[in-house]
Amino acid sequence: MNDLTYAFDLSHLWQVTGGQLILILAGLVLICADMAMMKTDEEVRSKRLGWLTVIIFGLTASHMMSREWDLHNTVFMGIFSADKFSIFVSIVMVISGLLAALMSIGYLQNNKVTKGEYYILLVYAVAGAVGLVQSVDLLMMFITLEVMSLAIYALAAFLKNDQYSQEGALKYFLLGSFGSAIFLFGVALIYGLTGTINITKIAQALSGGLYNNPGVLLAFVMLMAGLFFKMAMVPFHMWTPDVYEGSPSVVTGFMATAVKAAAFGVFIKLLFVSFSPILSQSGQPDFSSTVNLAALGAYWKPVVWWTALLTMFFGNLIAVSQQNVKRMLAYSSIAHAGYMALGILAANGEGRMGILFYLFAYTLMNIGAFGVVYVIDGKERNAQTLDDYRGLGYKYPALGFLMGLFLVAMAGLPPTAGFIAKFYVFSAAIKEGYFLLAALGVLTSVIGAYYYLRVIYMMYMKEEIRDVVRGQVAAPTVIALVITALGVLYLGILPERLATIANMAQQSLAMIF
Amino acid sequence: MNAPILTYVTFLPLFGVPFILAMSQKSDTGKNIIRGIALVVSIITFIASLRIYFAFDPSIAGFQFVEDHPWITNYGIHYHMGMDGLSFWLVLLTTFLTPLTILSTWRAIDNRVKEFQISMLVLETAMLGTFVALDMFLFYVFWEIMLIPMYLIIGVWGGERRIYAAIKFFLYTAVGSLLMLVCIIGLVYFHHQQTGQMTFNLLSLYGTSIPRTYEILFFASFALAFAIKVPMFPLHTWLPDAHVEAPTAGSVILAGILLKMGTYGFFRFAMPLFPAGSAYFTPLIITLSVIGIIYGALVAMVQPDIKKLVAYSSVSHLGYCMLGLYVLTRQGVEGSVLQMINHGISTGALFLLVGVVYERRHTRLIKEYGGIARIMPIYSTIFMIVTLSSIGLPTTNGFIGEFLILLGTFKVNKFAAVLAASGVILGAVYMLWMVQRVFFGEVTNPKNFNLPDLNIREIAYLAPLVVLIFWIGLYPNFFLNKMHASVDHFISQVKIESSVPSSHVQEAVNMELPGVTVALAKE
Repeated sequence: MNDLTYAFDLSHLWQVTGGQLILILAGLVLICADMAMMKTDEEVRSKRLGWLTVIIFGLTASHMMSREWDLHNTVFMGIFSADKFSIFVSIVMVISGLLAALMSIGYLQNNKVTKGEYYILLVYAVAGAVGLVQSVDLLMMFITLEVMSLAIYALAAFLKNDQYSQEGALKYFLLGSFGSAIFLFGVALIYGLTGTINITKIAQALSGGLYNNPGVLLAFVMLMAGLFFKMAMVPFHMWTPDVYEGSPSVVTGFMATAVKAAAFGVFIKLLFVSFSPILSQSGQPDFSSTVNLAALGAYWKPVVWWTALLTMFFGNLIAVSQQNVKRMLAYSSIAHAGYMALGILAANGEGRMGILFYLFAYTLMNIGAFGVVYVIDGKERNAQTLDDYRGLGYKYPALGFLMGLFLVAMAGLPPTAGFIAKFYVFSAAIKEGYFLLAALGVLTSVIGAYYYLRVIYMMYMKEEIRDVVRGQVAAPTVIALVITALGVLYLGILPERLATIANMAQQSLAMIF
Repeated sequence: MNAPILTYVTFLPLFGVPFILAMSQKSDTGKNIIRGIALVVSIITFIASLRIYFAFDPSIAGFQFVEDHPWITNYGIHYHMGMDGLSFWLVLLTTFLTPLTILSTWRAIDNRVKEFQISMLVLETAMLGTFVALDMFLFYVFWEIMLIPMYLIIGVWGGERRIYAAIKFFLYTAVGSLLMLVCIIGLVYFHHQQTGQMTFNLLSLYGTSIPRTYEILFFASFALAFAIKVPMFPLHTWLPDAHVEAPTAGSVILAGILLKMGTYGFFRFAMPLFPAGSAYFTPLIITLSVIGIIYGALVAMVQPDIKKLVAYSSVSHLGYCMLGLYVLTRQGVEGSVLQMINHGISTGALFLLVGVVYERRHTRLIKEYGGIARIMPIYSTIFMIVTLSSIGLPTTNGFIGEFLILLGTFKVNKFAAVLAASGVILGAVYMLWMVQRVFFGEVTNPKNFNLPDLNIREIAYLAPLVVLIFWIGLYPNFFLNKMHASVDHFISQVKIESSVPSSHVQEAVNMELPGVTVALAKE
């Protein structure tokens, strides 16, 4: 009885899932606001909704930072948890949404698609992503995964009269549904075998001896495949280039960061809590036997080893032959998933900390890069090929410099956040003795440097052959670009504060129960 | 003494950047102001670095002016800088050459002046940082930052095939240095396993004992990174491209300072960190150095382009530096460090001189010239002096360096010394032959009749180099004094352990390099 009142205690609900609640309610408010402003001009309305969205994300982020970060009692009804790890990833996604919302104000105007639904979809996409990362229950994971995905499918198709946008969105929808279905199948198998869908109870059940059961391995593979799809790991990456190229640039930037962060966050949570011995470090007698789960490493580590290698290799290699900048960035985002996978493979605290840092840094540089892409584009697909970037460094010095900065950061050169992030994940892998993979990985990043620098030499070393006129730069876009650029440099020079926070976050994984 | 002088010197160039950014480069006055700012800032940096000169105590073998602040503490990364007798002259060379280079670009670089001068100043900071960093991570950061301005300098202001050259330069360097990063991290974790302490501090990492296989592997990857930069035969192919396509200023910095980072990397990092690995590869490196000396000279001989000739001569000269370093005798190492400075001065001067005629005629082909000694007497005199210094004529700096290296080599490895000495003769052949074809004989090309001789600005940036050529040539002790203690310390650091597995070396040689057995058997 006591438990029941506790479970339905509203203040507890507010503490643990306050961020999500704000987002869901705000989405409803946005719908109402959109209808209430029926009379006003469409462009003005969209602008107002955009700023409103920015405020919503700001509120959400501050709620998470102030209330949820220091919680002691973190799990709500065995469904959602508000541990530091989930909150960290959630904040990354909210920041990604905030930056995307800022840029969208200008983007929608440039493309004359000033519809209010856009922001509502964006808010629900973030709500779904936050829910996904906060879930400690496989079924809730599936539901929130779908909430997030459906909103993003619609966002990807937002350019109604553009066939690439439609094509990409349809592909994403079909393949995404397939991926989700496989994930669901994995959930069903796990439930059948262990009798529970709570991730900590799964760990307990598995450590009792089930971990040797081939059925568990099959389920594990299916869960992995479903999430690898969202993370865009080779060989589940086929959808990425088409979708990233077709979607509106700002949505692509959001997708490449928030969805990736959500997928990595939930994958790490699932892998380390349910299938690794991490809970045994919590000191709770219930979980002392989860040490056994270390044996599972023999199965998943080689898989991640090869997936990481292939992802880094193919992502970088195919990016070299791309002529379209957005498509190139799509392949580069595949490659980045490969680097982050090194941190998973390392399976140590440094690795998880590295991934968290990487996700944060990647969010800044990737959204920044797509912001520049959309500004140069003017209207979607006006100027996206490498040839369009010729000589732009001198025509638009500020945009050229920003693009150069973001690309240098993605190439992993100091003094940018990209370098520090790569350093963290590589050093985590090296710590566990993966010398060969680390060496091969850095060699692929040389390939990466080649195509990132190619954009820079197009901008600074070639004469323009076509008169490219950039689109209007709206004030919020300027704010977003300045924030991302300063962030990329700040984290590159003084990474320590974020690294410490990320480290606290990853340590909290052992405390989910 | 307590003022963080190294930090000041390293980051002073960056102070010029905001001022340059604020200037407009539309008018000629604007461009001149930008150039002026860059020049003044680099001269201030040089003056600041003179304070290092006066405060430096040559009797101390260890590091001086040390600054140590925690940076990324959970990984034991510090902002740790310091200087000893080995890096002392390299830092001064950098601060000395940069203003001269900027002065030389006054007319040569006329488009995108702002971007160019910013690149130069950022490059100077990165170079200085590389020479004074004592933390592996900090070193790596500076080492990589250097790539971008150099990439831009070659790629934006270079010649026709500049993009090819810039990318080649970048990729070669990046491959080496990224593998090095992996091994730096590996080394740190080995250290961590043994002592329980995470640190990137170079001084603590010295003497970490690593399993032999890993030590050899780590040394190989460090050596790869540095050998590409030096460049050692057969990794030198990026150098002629980069030199030929780079603008004069780029070539001067590249030859004068960037190449020294390779050799500096060997004696500061690769050799003392992995003495056993270093010993294992000694025969290979000595062989490659000797091949580089002779090969560079032979290829230089047949070049039709003066700049390419000088570029290949760098391969040859840097071969001496590596040879001197690897014989591990006091003379050899001191000669090697001195030869780095010499090469910076004389090859830097040669590139500047080639730039002078290129500015006037827009060609660097030897056959386009001939007999210009009569038309440009001052130019020809300076060119001759620099040529003689590059050949190594007594009383010039080149002689001291090469002599010390050969002396040091002879003590240890007579065969290599004899072969290397032949490089001196070949050097005389290609340089003097080129000088003969360019400066003497009849003036055959009518375009050359009206070439103006050097103007004041050009003399101003060449004269200090000529003074240094004779200064080092006549009184080398002034320079060598500063490094005796550090060199002895370096040799003791590398040698003690390397004397143990010398039988291993012999075995390794027998297995891998039949050619080198001869060289070692003569010992």
